[in-house]
Amino acid sequence: MILLDPHNVIIQTTLNEKLVKPSSLDVQFVDYDGVRFHLSTPEKKTVLLLSMHIRCWDELVRYGAIDVLQREYGALLVGQAEQDYNVSLMIDLEQVPAEPEAREAFITSIALFKRNAVAAPFESAFNTQKELEKAEGQQGELMQIHYRDEEAIYIQAAHDRVTVIFSTIFQDETDRIFGKVFLQEFVDARRQPSIQNAPQVLYSSRDPPLEIRHLTNLRNTEDIGYVTFVLFPRHFANPNVASGTISHMQLFRDYLHYHIKCSKAYMHSRMRHRVSEFQKVLNRAKTEVATAERKTVSGRTMMTR
Amino acid sequence: MDINFRKIDIDVYDEDAIHESEIYEADPRDPGQVLNEAKQKQSGVRALLARNDVAGALKTVLEGAPFGPGADEAKSITLQTLLTILNSTKSTDISGAIKQLTQDDHDTLMKYLYKGMAMPGWGDISGSVLLGWHEKLTEIAGTGCIVRTMTDRRIV
Amino acid sequence: MSNVLRPYLAAVRSTLTAALTLENFSSQVVERHNKPEVETRGSKEVLLNPLTISRNENERVLIEPSVNSIRLSIKIKQADEIERILCHQFTRFMMQRAESFIVLRRKPVSGYDISFLITNTHTETMLKHKIVDFIIQFMEEVDKEISEMKLSLNARARIVAESYLTAVSSGF
Repeated sequence: MILLDPHNVIIQTTLNEKLVKPSSLDVQFVDYDGVRFHLSTPEKKTVLLLSMHIRCWDELVRYGAIDVLQREYGALLVGQAEQDYNVSLMIDLEQVPAEPEAREAFITSIALFKRNAVAAPFESAFNTQKELEKAEGQQGELMQIHYRDEEAIYIQAAHDRVTVIFSTIFQDETDRIFGKVFLQEFVDARRQPSIQNAPQVLYSSRDPPLEIRHLTNLRNTEDIGYVTFVLFPRHFANPNVASGTISHMQLFRDYLHYHIKCSKAYMHSRMRHRVSEFQKVLNRAKTEVATAERKTVSGRTMMTR
Repeated sequence: MDINFRKIDIDVYDEDAIHESEIYEADPRDPGQVLNEAKQKQSGVRALLARNDVAGALKTVLEGAPFGPGADEAKSITLQTLLTILNSTKSTDISGAIKQLTQDDHDTLMKYLYKGMAMPGWGDISGSVLLGWHEKLTEIAGTGCIVRTMTDRRIV
Repeated sequence: MSNVLRPYLAAVRSTLTAALTLENFSSQVVERHNKPEVETRGSKEVLLNPLTISRNENERVLIEPSVNSIRLSIKIKQADEIERILCHQFTRFMMQRAESFIVLRRKPVSGYDISFLITNTHTETMLKHKIVDFIIQFMEEVDKEISEMKLSLNARARIVAESYLTAVSSGF
């Protein structure tokens, strides 16, 4: 698995199960970026309540998350969200479409709950870009989404592009250096003819890019990195392409860190192998010691503890 | 209570204790004289090298090489002189030159090879030249030569 | 073995062989102590001249002989930040397993990346030339391993970047 999926697997499998055989349940689970879910059957077995908590909910609402969710889920959206959560969906299993394809699509759309909520600022930026197309030199609002404790996404629309900036923290020295290698490849990869249409990627460690340099709440330490994606209108020309771009963009940070961790795990298994090889070489140096079975007077075998 | 007296190294005051000066016989020559000799050798070696006499040049440098404390300048001049010889010798001539030397000269040459490799600054020395000489010298003079370098206290 | 590395390893091999002439030797300073003299540094007459073998400033081996033990420290080539971190990880990984590597020292001598401490007990229970073989093989392969790890990291990074950007540029 190289790419991460934008939908939540737990929601998908649980819904599929419950559609076949409804039963009461009460589960809590999580998704990337500290998003919490609560799936329960508060009233009866066929009515599921799915609640979500996102730490940057207030910011998402400001950039139009409610409208996006309203459009995606319509009547499913519950007016008053469950306590401790930001937003809830009420899913009546008896109302779910019966024919397989429509059912599949419905479940997938529920599983994209988190993705759709976070998509709001991206969609708003894409729309702003279209409005600004005539007015050269103008820029849209700089949207900030603090989706993790110390990391954020910044999105800004201009007349010919949308700039997405990720700030990301590398927890230790190894992560930082591995991250640098990966990001450098992101920058270089565009030279390949097959992916010249990809968004332009820029990265800088420590120094924030020009667009967000005026912000005061930025950390200025060695372990921080900034990745800038420049999206051109072709990346969100039609709704299909736009939605794909949004799904991938959202997961960039998780994707990067996932692969850094994978590389570390791989290095570790390599070292384990190599060290055991060295061990064998050293063992060849040991002289054979004859270990005859030793017995005590009473006939019991001596054991070395 | 003051316990610092426990940390005093009383072995130094022992009559049997070994001092630096007892480990090897000091150089009878005066440091100034050694320095002069080193400088003279430097020009002598140039003349020999001009005549392509590598073995002769090596012999000149290695015989009576400075050792012990107080001769640092003479030591570094000798090292430089030796390195010019090593650098200007063709790799095919190395074995022939080494074979003409005595065992004492072999030992001294080995000492200088290690000294050259341990130099922090390097300067104009190339590691591969020293390693090449080291290999040839070990082939001819044997492991014993390295052992003598380790054990000889007359550090060059 | 590559031709560039050969004289270097040959020099280490001959020096190490020469140094591995160890015998049992009790401390002259503390009664009933029998410790590696190269570590305790109790009496200077049993410590021999340390020898350095180097290819260049970044690749060096320091051999410190004494009467009953020798200490061999290696500085591994590190061309850039990635190699530095990989080398650090690898040597740390090994040193955490020093118990099973008998001749490995738990901490490197300052200025070097990894150190070995060979005592007379080791030369008595193990074959001397095989210990030398082990050290040489270690030196030979550690460079190779680090550069291979670096290559695999770069290759992975490239695949990761390409597949992400391909996905974004096509929109799906």
